[in-house]
This record gives sequence, structure tokens and C-alpha cells, in this order.
Amino acid sequence: MAHDNDIAIIGWNISPMVRNTEHTEAQMLLEVITGAVTDAGITRKEVDFTCAGSCDYVAGQAFSFVQNIDAIGAWPPKRDSHVEMDGAWALYEAWLRLQMDDIDIAVAMGSGRSSTADPELIYSMEMDPYYLAPLGADAMSFAAIQARALLDAGKVTERQMAEVAARTRRDGKSRDYNQVTGDFDVDALLATDYVRAPLRRHDLPPITDGACAMVIARADKARELCENPIWITGFAHYSELHNPGMRDLRSSNSTTLAAKAAGIEEGPIEVAEIQSAFTHEEPLLVEALGLGPDTVINPSGGPQAANPIMATGLVRIAEAAGQIRDNGKHRTLGHSTSGPCLQQNLVCILEGGK
Amino acid sequence: MAGTVESTIKFPYKRSLGPVLGAFMTALTEQRIMGIRSGGRVIVPPLEWDPDTGVELAHDFVDVGPAGTVESWTWVAKPTAQHPLDHPFAFALVKLDGADTALMHAVDAGSIDAMSTGMRVAPRWKAERKGHITDLDAFVPGETPETHEGGGAEEPVTMMDYDATITYRIPTTANQLRSDQASEQGRFLGLKCPICNRTYTGGRGYCPIDAIELGEEHEVDLPQKGVITNYTIITPTPYPGQTATEPFSRVHVWLDGTDVVLGYQTLLDVPNDDVHIGMRVEAVWASEGEKVDKDPRMEGNLIGFLPTGEPDNTDPDLVNRLH
Amino acid sequence: MAHQPCAIVGVGQTHHKTRRWDVSLGGLVREAAQRALDDAEMTWKDIDAVVIGKAPDLFEGVMKPELYLSDALGAAGKPVFRVHTAGSVGGTTGIVAAHHVESGRHKRVLAVAYQKQSEGNAQFALGSGRGFSIGAGGAFAPFMRSYMYRTGAPAEIGPMVAVKDRKNALKNPYAHLKIEDISLEKVMASPMMWDPVRFLESCPSSDGACAVVFTDKEGGEAAAKAGRQPAWILGSAVRSEPSQFPGRDPVAPQGAADCAADVYQQAGITNPLEQIDCAELYVPFSWYEPMWLEGHHIAEFGEGWKMVERGDTEIGGRFPVNMSGGVLSSNPIGASGLLRFSEAALQVRGMAGEHQVEGANVAIAQAYGASAQYFSMWVVANSLDPFGK
Repeated sequence: MAHDNDIAIIGWNISPMVRNTEHTEAQMLLEVITGAVTDAGITRKEVDFTCAGSCDYVAGQAFSFVQNIDAIGAWPPKRDSHVEMDGAWALYEAWLRLQMDDIDIAVAMGSGRSSTADPELIYSMEMDPYYLAPLGADAMSFAAIQARALLDAGKVTERQMAEVAARTRRDGKSRDYNQVTGDFDVDALLATDYVRAPLRRHDLPPITDGACAMVIARADKARELCENPIWITGFAHYSELHNPGMRDLRSSNSTTLAAKAAGIEEGPIEVAEIQSAFTHEEPLLVEALGLGPDTVINPSGGPQAANPIMATGLVRIAEAAGQIRDNGKHRTLGHSTSGPCLQQNLVCILEGGK
Repeated sequence: MAGTVESTIKFPYKRSLGPVLGAFMTALTEQRIMGIRSGGRVIVPPLEWDPDTGVELAHDFVDVGPAGTVESWTWVAKPTAQHPLDHPFAFALVKLDGADTALMHAVDAGSIDAMSTGMRVAPRWKAERKGHITDLDAFVPGETPETHEGGGAEEPVTMMDYDATITYRIPTTANQLRSDQASEQGRFLGLKCPICNRTYTGGRGYCPIDAIELGEEHEVDLPQKGVITNYTIITPTPYPGQTATEPFSRVHVWLDGTDVVLGYQTLLDVPNDDVHIGMRVEAVWASEGEKVDKDPRMEGNLIGFLPTGEPDNTDPDLVNRLH
Repeated sequence: MAHQPCAIVGVGQTHHKTRRWDVSLGGLVREAAQRALDDAEMTWKDIDAVVIGKAPDLFEGVMKPELYLSDALGAAGKPVFRVHTAGSVGGTTGIVAAHHVESGRHKRVLAVAYQKQSEGNAQFALGSGRGFSIGAGGAFAPFMRSYMYRTGAPAEIGPMVAVKDRKNALKNPYAHLKIEDISLEKVMASPMMWDPVRFLESCPSSDGACAVVFTDKEGGEAAAKAGRQPAWILGSAVRSEPSQFPGRDPVAPQGAADCAADVYQQAGITNPLEQIDCAELYVPFSWYEPMWLEGHHIAEFGEGWKMVERGDTEIGGRFPVNMSGGVLSSNPIGASGLLRFSEAALQVRGMAGEHQVEGANVAIAQAYGASAQYFSMWVVANSLDPFGK
């Protein structure tokens, strides 16, 4: 193989996705880490490195991740790191770490309780602190502005957006953990009021509390522990400049860069799990990834069915892995994003076999 | 669910602007919108660097607008407290005449029906301007800016305030709730791990060593008496919200017959000079329903510890019991 | 180790001050990054990826600031990564950036760590705005008291460390606190802030940033050939442990010992005191110097304070520590770890100016965070084989 087939996913766990959890982040992580190591057929003691993704502003407390270390079983002390990013990037750091060649098994995780405060107030704080945050310029408003740019360019219609919502929430019924699923009539959806025009309620992701953990291992260990390791054959992420007013919102250049760097062109992608939290982002990302009509998008329901901030991206990669392990697929993709109007994008390509 | 604890965090920040943001904010006080040249482009709002390359830009400023064109927009039907207007408005990317990038701001259009991509807008300025992005009150439809008499800031603007208030509603876990209820009865609840036998307080809900959940079946009542193993005397420093004015002690208390050490506890009625290792102390609880302004490090209704008057514990290793 | 070698070819930092009210957040990080690029004789476009580290976002009130800073750091169209591991974050940022190169994924990586404490108020943020905040000093004071009792170290050891670090800071043009007339008497006479720690034995609150340019073996060798000595990373490690559980010893944490053992093993160090020429240790309060000398296997338990007493840790001593003036002299929290790591690199590159240790071939740097439970360390040297294996 021309690319990297030396690190594989060997287990994972996704928590129930709920509107209001009664658990702390540490408790949610305790559960998904136990689930993931059990899935991989190992114990916490065998884990050489852990990396967590979470966010103080989601938690409402400085150094919130320090308590989460209680979940990993860090005694004796563990090699461990934390990113203030989605768990998908925690997986990226774990993947880099295993390439140091000295250790075999890592666990990446992501967790967030986005129910604890108003997302409109929280996410405006990640914008330019001089020009955007003081306007309360929130992520939903930016998403709506990007949706309008796509509508104006004829790249999507409001009907297509509603169809994305109906399809993903219907498909989301296949997952017990999902939060918002069901059968929705597209005409009825289109008859509802705008929440932030041109976005209606169905175009928005739910507010979700949840967590996800994933076990990865180097080749020899992966084969030893697992009959069908799921190989990470490409993994890359890119950023764009920050201010959406200075970007072409009709494309997602960083997604294309990440997909190419991850080797997307080396074969067909059967299933793509993408972090299209807002419905219009799906066609935009599908185009930026260069995917054709043969690729199934978000059969898990995607972020429309459950959107645990700081874990949504890692859940996408877990779902992409599940398509290979449980559904007989050969090559799938997980995607994550961060920032206003898809500022940062990450692509993880997975393959079965070998 | 078991309930939530609400905490409002108000963040009073003071930002220094540096040369480029400062010049832009100063121009706002003069009812001007300014961009910065980068090669053949004009970047608005101005940055110190070219956003595509990171290259430092010379301070070659240029006025843009006053009118501009809406490139994209959304309608905010229900504004938040952080939004610039308190009635329905549009957020829009406005490409000002002479600019090559768009400025995000509010358009006070009255109705969503008045909004369209490509529409022309002009700034409406605030009467009182301080060098802040909201000196530009909003854009309004049309070509004509709404300006006020009077000049700009007397001194160049160098700083801006940023206040954001977010209220968090943190769920109370089942363990926490039972711990709080015990505390209201003046009981000290611990959770004992069945694997390592370590005991944890405060409804922690798990053992960090064995990484297992601890629940009701692992609860134990802890003793109310203990010994001071370590301490510090803190001289208060000023900060927003500081209520302490005089030096105060915080002590580590090892509860009798257990492995539980409570850190940074409040010691009541003991002058700072008399605080010492080995002192015997006993827990003091608020009576049911009593509201006390206490250190948040204290668990539940625990107000602090009082000396028992018993003879000191003279074990020289006490000082090392920090956890 | 089978991974690719990684060299440090550029180091930069800001002038650290209580309030850098002359710059924006973007301006602050660029000041450090531009100096690092200049040192590496590179421009923004030469960089393949950027790793940003800082302590809590609540300190400045900017959530996930790597988003706003991506184009400030010339990273449009590049990978941008954000690390946060409490006080150890600056060290971890350097290590994660090095992993980007050591894994063979990237050739030239820029690490930037910063804090602009003057935008907010750390005591406020740590105490969530409530009164009676004990601050970091109050949190660590009992640990230091325990160390003093346990080792029988004389009371003036802490003040001696403070005098040494403050004298070293006078030699560092970037250091924040410069106390020209520093003396043992002056430190002993300063107010007791968090008993047993005095005001002049404590770190300041600073605005500042630090940046480091990493490159692969080829890049490091090219720099060396051009007469620009690189620092080679011989080993790096991190460890974490839970903050609180019965049986934990925060005075000599297991995580620190394990982290040190790991990094020495990677670097081929069997006798740290003999093989390492100098160290930058994270010492925000004076007593942490002897505590960390012992905690990281440089001295036996109870022997670290004797090194301080003998003057071993002064520049010119047997084992100089915190030649830069250390955290005691400059503390932009998120950057403090990377400042330690970059000073170690400066030393082995022979570029530390007035605070240069003569003949420094091998140096270590360390950072710690939260309740003395996060640790990061690295060993750097002026060659890949300083011990002539």
C-alpha cells in the first residue's frame, strides 16, 4: 500500500445522546472508556496513551478537563494529553503519538455537555474577539449566512435542506443512542417558520450531551487483539482564515485539502460520516470531499440526530469504522469540523482487510 | 432529573488593541470605516497581517464606504442579550465600497421582507462613540449614512471592554444529591471503593484509581472529628468579586480512622497565629435551611471546623498527609 | 527509538510584562512567532503546520482562540492544532509539535504558546468570580510546607532560590521582573502571601508568548551546515495522574518521577546530575526548585535543597537551574512551559547570551500543571549523540 496502514481502530463506545444528562463529564467518559476498552478486549491498564477533547466554555469552568482525568484510570500515572478540540483531533494526536514507535495502544475521547448553557451565547465567544464576539455573532447566524450564500449560488435549495433533515433523522432510527429521530414530511418541514432565515428548526442540530471513546493500536498489536482491525489509511486536517467575511463561503477549501492529503482519491468511499451540523453543510462538504452519488452519507443519522459538541466528530469516525466492522464495507470516511462556517476540517479515511 | 445548580459567570475583560485595531476603532469614533491595503486588495475590517499569508502589513489605511452591498445575510428574529440590537434585525456580510472583503454587522431593516442579497446599505452611527465595533450602531437600507454632529475621540483609542455573561445550569448527579441531603442532616457521606478500599467524599461517584462507578451501595458515614495535617495562611489579593480583606487560614483535615483528608478547609474561631499541625478539630454544619456564604471548597452544608480542645496529635508524619 | 529525529532551529519570545497593552492578542503571538521565524531564517510560508498551546480560555475570554489566531499565525490552508494540559501545556505544546515532525508527517512546524493575563484576571477565573480564592500559591503552600518538614531544609532555601532566579532574570532581556537590588534580606522581608511562601518567592502574572520552530533531520543538518546550531530532541515525555485520592503524594508525585525516568531512558541518561549540563524547571514558587530536583531524579530525596545551599544551581555552579530567571521572573501561564523548553534549546545552541551556561551540551526542561499532576519534559542536546554511544 502506498499509504499508512500501520495504525488501526480496534474498539469504541458511544454514550447515550440526551438533551440533559444527569452525569458529569467524568462519569460519561468513565462509561465510554470502559465500553471502548471492553469492545477492544483489553483493560485500562493496557492503554499506553490517552488523549481527551473537551472545552472549558462548554463546561462553564476553567480547567474542567482536569476532573475528567479521573475517568481514564491514570494510576500508575499515564502518558496523557488534552486538546481543546473535538475528540476527532484527540484521535489525531493519539495517532501521531503511536507513530513514535515506542508504545502500542492509545485511547482517544471526546465529551461535552452542551445543554448547560445557551449555545448562542457560548459559541459567539469563539469568534474574533474585537470584530465579531462583541456583536454576539453566533455560530448559528454564520451558518445561516453560509446557507444563504449557497442558496444564492444555486448550490442547494431549501427543499434539499429539508430532505437532508428528513433522511438523516429517518436513518438515525437505526441507532439506539440517537436523540432526535423519526419520520418527517418534507412539505410539512418547509411550512414551518425560520429560526434564523434561511434556516428552519429542522436545519439545526439538536443540543446534546454525550461522549465517545475509541481505542487504536499499532499494527502488530491490532492484529493480535482484533480479528478485523480497521486501518486508518489517511488522516489530515486543515484550517482556513478565521473571519467568514474574508472567505468564499460557497466552497470549503480546507475540506478539499484534508481529503486530498488523506488520500481520498485512491479509491471509492462507500460511506461518509460527516459533521454537517447544519443541513446545508451536507451538499457543500460532499462536493468539497469530491464524493459521488455512490457514497452513502451519514447513515447513522449524523449530527442532525445527535450533536454532542466536542465528541460529534469522533462519533463520525466511530460510525465510519462501524460500517466496515459491522456492515461489510471496505473503505469509509469520517469528517469533523470546527469554527464558524466550517473553518477547520478533518478527514479520516478507514479501510478494512489485511 | 435531580435538579441543577445555576451559576452565572460574568466575564469583564479589557482588551488592548495594538496599532491596527486601534486605528480602526479610532476611525469609528470619527464615523469612518477604515480598511488596510494588502497588495492590490483592501482588507475590511483591517488586520495586522494578510489573512491568506500571514505577512505583516504596512499601516497603509484607506477609508471605505460609507455605503456597501449585502453579500449574504440572515434574519435574527429573537436577538440575544449579546446582539447589538434588541429588536429583530439582520446579520449581514457587507462589502463596503472600495473594500475587497466583507464586514459582518447588523442591518436594521425593520422586516425580513426588506432584506435581499445585493441590497445597498449605509452605516447608522451611534451618537455616543467610544471606539468599539458597536459605535457603528447598524447598517440601514439605502446609500445615505446617518451621522451625528461632533468629532471623534480626543485621544487615539487603545483599549476596549468586553463583557459577556453566560448562565450555566449544571446538573446535580444522583450521588451529589444524596451527599447534599446527608450534609443537610449534618452527616458526612463518603463512597468507599470495593476494589481498593479508598474512600472519597462529595458524591464524586467513581474511583479514579480503579475507574469504576460508585453508587448508593458504596456509601459510608464518615466521622466528624479529625486532625489538622497541614495549613496555609492566605493574604487576600484584590480581584472582581473578592470579599476577603484580612489574611485567612485554610487547613487540611484528616478524618479519624479513615483515609480521608479534606484539603483547604475553613477553620473557625482560631487566630492565624494559633493554627498548627496536630490540632484536633470537629465539623460544623449549617442547620437545615440556613444559608451561609461559605467557601465553595467546603462540601455541602459544612461551614468549617472548630477545635475540640482535645490534646494535639504529635505524630511527626501528619504533615505529609495531604491527600 | 525508530521515529524521525527532530531539530529546533528557531526560538522566539516576547518581552514579558504585567500588561502588554501595546499589542492585540494576534500581535502578541506574532511578536514571538516572528522572532522564531527570523531565528530559523524562515518565513510564514515555510511552515507546514502550527500547534498552539495555552491555559484556560476563560483567562482572556476567547473560546478556542486557535480559530481567531489561525491566520494571525499564517496558517490559512495549513493544519492548526490546539493543546491544553493546564500549567504543563507549554511543554506539551512543544512535544506535540515535535511529534508532528518525528512522525514524519511534517517537515517544518511552528509551536506557539501564550497567555495575556491582563485581559482578564486569573484569580477571578480560577475562583469562578467568588471571594476567598486561594489562588495557585494557596493551593501549593501545604505541599511546600510538607517538603520543608520532611527534609528538614533550612527556612532560607526558598528565599535563596528566589534570589538566584531574580539575579538570572537581570541577564535575560525578555524577563518580566527585574529587581536590581534583590537580596536574601529583601526576600525574607517581603510579605508572607501564602504561608510559607513570601511575595518575592512567587511568580508574577504576565502577558507573553513563546514560539519554537521544529524541523526534520535534513532541516537540522542544513541549519548546522549554515552555522546555525540546532538543538536536537533526544527524548520527550508526558505523564498525568488524578488530582486527589488517598495515598497520593503531591510533594514527590509519581507522575513526575515516571516522566523523568521515561525521558532519561529515551535520551540514554543514566546519571542525570553528571550527564545533564543545565535545567529549566517549572518553579512558580521558590521551594519547587529543590522539590523538582528531587522529584525528577536529579538529586536523592532530601538532597535537592543542599544543591541550592551549595550554590550548585547558580549559573557557573555544578548544575545550573533556571538560567532564564524561570517562572519566578516571567509567568505568561500558557507560555511558561514552552519558555522552559525553549531556554533549554537556547542553552545547547549556545545562544543564551548573558545567561549562557559554558559548555552546555545537554539540557532538560520540565513543566507541570494543575494540582502537580500533569508533567511534561524533554531532553535537548547540541548533537544527536552527545554521549558518544
